[in-house]
Amino acid sequence: MNIRRIPILLYVLVLLALVLSACAPASTTPPPTGVVETVVVEKEKVVTPTAAPEGPVTISFWHAYNADVEAKFLEQTIIPAFEAQHPNIKVQAVLVPYDQFRRKLLIALSGGTAPDVARVDIIWVPELADQGALAKLDETMTDFETLKDQMLPGPLSTNFFQGHYYGLPLDTNTRVLVYNKAMFAAAGIEKPPATVDEFLAACEKIKQLGEGKYCFADGGTYAWAVNPWIWSFGGDITDPQITKASGYVNSPETAAAYQFLKDGVDNGYIHPGIKGGGVDAWGGFAKDEIAMLLEGPWFPPLFGSQFPDKDYGLALMPAGKGGSISVVGGEDIVIFQQSQHKEAAAEFVRFMLSEETQLKWVETGQMPVLKSAGDSEVIKNHPFFGIFLEQLKTAKARTPHPAWARMEEKLTNTGQAILAGEGTVQENLDRLATDLDALLASSQ
Amino acid sequence: MALNLKTRKTLVPYLFLLPGILFFLTFQVYPLVKGFQMSFYKWSLMPGKASQFIGLANYVRAFNDPVVGRAFINTLIYTLVTVPGQMILAMVAALLLHSLPRGRAFFRTLYYLPVITSWVIVSLLIRYLFQSPNGLVNYFLVEVFHVVSKPIMWYEQASTAFIPILVLGIWKGIGWSMVIYLAALQGIPRELMEVASIDGANGWQRFWKIILPLLGPTVVFTLVMLLIGGFNVFISVYLITGGGPRQQTEVLLSYTYRQAFDFLDFGYGAALSMLMAVFLITASYLQMRFLRKPVEVY
Amino acid sequence: MRVARKPFNPKRFFRLVLLYLLAAGGAVVMIFPFLWMVSNAFKEHVFVIEYPPQLIPTHPSIGNFMRAWTSNNFQLYFTNSAVVALTSTFFTVLFSAMMAYAFARFKFPGREILFFAILLVLMVPDMITIIPKFVLIKTLGLRNSLWGLILVYIAGSTSLNTFLLRGFFEQLPHELEEAMLMDGAGYFTIFLRMILPLSAPALATVTIFSFLGHWDEFTWALTIIDDPLKRTLPIAIYSFQGQHGTEWGLVFAAMIIALIPVLIIFIALQRYFVSGITAGAVKG
Repeated sequence: MNIRRIPILLYVLVLLALVLSACAPASTTPPPTGVVETVVVEKEKVVTPTAAPEGPVTISFWHAYNADVEAKFLEQTIIPAFEAQHPNIKVQAVLVPYDQFRRKLLIALSGGTAPDVARVDIIWVPELADQGALAKLDETMTDFETLKDQMLPGPLSTNFFQGHYYGLPLDTNTRVLVYNKAMFAAAGIEKPPATVDEFLAACEKIKQLGEGKYCFADGGTYAWAVNPWIWSFGGDITDPQITKASGYVNSPETAAAYQFLKDGVDNGYIHPGIKGGGVDAWGGFAKDEIAMLLEGPWFPPLFGSQFPDKDYGLALMPAGKGGSISVVGGEDIVIFQQSQHKEAAAEFVRFMLSEETQLKWVETGQMPVLKSAGDSEVIKNHPFFGIFLEQLKTAKARTPHPAWARMEEKLTNTGQAILAGEGTVQENLDRLATDLDALLASSQ
Repeated sequence: MALNLKTRKTLVPYLFLLPGILFFLTFQVYPLVKGFQMSFYKWSLMPGKASQFIGLANYVRAFNDPVVGRAFINTLIYTLVTVPGQMILAMVAALLLHSLPRGRAFFRTLYYLPVITSWVIVSLLIRYLFQSPNGLVNYFLVEVFHVVSKPIMWYEQASTAFIPILVLGIWKGIGWSMVIYLAALQGIPRELMEVASIDGANGWQRFWKIILPLLGPTVVFTLVMLLIGGFNVFISVYLITGGGPRQQTEVLLSYTYRQAFDFLDFGYGAALSMLMAVFLITASYLQMRFLRKPVEVY
Repeated sequence: MRVARKPFNPKRFFRLVLLYLLAAGGAVVMIFPFLWMVSNAFKEHVFVIEYPPQLIPTHPSIGNFMRAWTSNNFQLYFTNSAVVALTSTFFTVLFSAMMAYAFARFKFPGREILFFAILLVLMVPDMITIIPKFVLIKTLGLRNSLWGLILVYIAGSTSLNTFLLRGFFEQLPHELEEAMLMDGAGYFTIFLRMILPLSAPALATVTIFSFLGHWDEFTWALTIIDDPLKRTLPIAIYSFQGQHGTEWGLVFAAMIIALIPVLIIFIALQRYFVSGITAGAVKG
């Protein structure tokens, strides 16, 4: 009996330890107000909500800055500068990887724990606004008109939804052609392709380099990847008023763009990862397996930090029938309706949009959205912004619509079906047009 | 005194049940009921947006949604492949380890390693190993074993994208069933095996005639548990393929989760969940009837 | 006569060698992915997938481990995971043992139907009710709280453990219980002094299984925790992978750190856990 007791004694001891440790969360869990207040960035110092009445307010700021360059800069340079200017406001920066961002945000919103401020993809603003998630900045911020007038009109417009501004632009970008100088030299290509025809000619030469060498790679058939080709071929997704897709997404021009991508994959020009399997595009580029990519202005700093010895060049998107048209990217900064600290949040927005901060960000490849920034020496003499600014002149935005997430899902699936050779391009696009029409109609 | 004892005896079991039942009702039964209610609504969680009663619309939509059919079939495939896969390999491993005179515990620990590793870790690991074209699995297939001439692009087509998920399902689960079978094998009296050998039964015959019947209840127990686990497949799909390409590897739970948390379509997600719950409860009810008293299994 | 020490038998010897080779081969397959993970974790600053792959790093370094440990509040995530897993495991085991005791040793009105209901619900994956549970936890104000995890984990594993323990409790001798009753002991005393001690192996088994399940739980934590300071290890790793997608060595280092406590617990408690299975799960 005694021997039998030993395990149970141990068991009881362990359980006792558990009970004691169980008390820990009880004492540190804040009252469930739905808003996180007790958290701070520093590990050692914990600020309790019951501090002095004028004690610091903590605002949460969600972003998808890349971890190695941009997020580091945010936490080491930007936020300390802000907190130095505003001793009463603490910023808790939360990095949510881009792929997880939209879902995480929607979960938080429906769970009542939205952040105070967030840096969101410009294409999500209509959906978030439509959900009633965002504060109308033109009503919340008294100095909104002043700020608004300082912004570049293109990026600013991405915040406008049904008569109100729900955010302000934070940074802008577009994709340009990045080409592998070593591979171009090996294949005997003298200059980056300016047109789609030259692009194809270059691809033929790259192909001659042998097995496992690809002319071009992209991560999939989502809009960010295929829209530049669609637009440059003269096609589009919807009419300008965003009421219907028929006649646009299944137009001969759009079909030609998809045909070009399909032929490219079939010929071995384009890395098959675009079919949906994904591709380590930067790795392949660094190892001279991929000759061209479309990339944004974050590419030079981040790629440079990973592959400091690799030489590459930048060029405009190859022009087709529709011109050289790339896709506008970028982020807006928004304040959430659920926020209890809209004043502090607005203060942070103002800080992020000040010329000083905007120009600081430049070293990480973030392009400013202030009209005045264009005249600054930093931008004029910038090593690589010139080409992006040039490309931005013609670049177009993805469809700003509350149902965009569902639309893009259909678009991506259709692209994958086309590249997989399931049905003709036209059949697939006709079906897509019907589906998109239905989505547009149902959300009106 | 006797009466007092009797009342005590009637009351006592309820006291013991109380905390567990409270949890059961609050977090198991109530959500099922609530989910049932939600499935008839266009349910909104956003402040200021009212939920709207839409009758059976979510169910009608579910039956017309081609992805739901695909997800159902994928869930079935997953269960039908991984459950027997795990059981057979676990049985082989258990018989193998059981015949080792020494070092059984050592091997058992190694085989059990995948079981105790979290789904997140093993899913990301498997995704990495199956990367295309330069992943480790491709390296072995092409360069070491020369099974295929060029790398397989695993995640590009539905036919191959589901394979890493199936492999993971089997690999992670072998150890669990194996440990249970091993323990059961140790419970078989040695004399029985020796008698069988003397009677001239070979290994195969001994397995079918003696071992398997004796292990019957244990095998049924693992079968039931693994079937439940099979329908629970979610994390591996979510993390390895995300349901892609073209939603071809979506399983019921991953598709449901996406409806709710990618598109805030909580009502539709709830309807899909309810359909699945009805299917599973019916199936397990039939299974219980079929197996008479499930408790005897155990 | 068979028992006598056998002379060297070549056939038997080669059979044994073959068996060991097979067992070792199986073990290699089972742990190969882990070896690969460890190998890559020791390769620092590798942004491309090596081809051909190298199992032994040319310049092994522990830099990834240092970076993973320092850059991501890992100690905090550890504490969170530990608090959640230990608390919920304790209550899971306690409540299921109590329920199992009631089901195994008492006859009372509603017993059959209640047990049947628990079994039926047991067949339904927890994920099925994740949407309404999300709504419920929101209403209770428990999002971004470790209690939101703990309560749901307790509820989620109590049914199964009740089922497992009931089978074990039923086999305990009735004589002892009756003797204790005669001595005037109450049912709670019997539960604490007799049922629990006699069931130590089975309790150890359910404790370990529950602990592992709670330590590893991903989906629910992903759904209700937004606050980075309330993250548990599985979601921390998921998020870490999202941030450093191409730097696998770093991601693997983080995973290994998360895996170590599980390994220690498993190896240390293995004895109890296997005896628990033998005693509990196999008996027909």
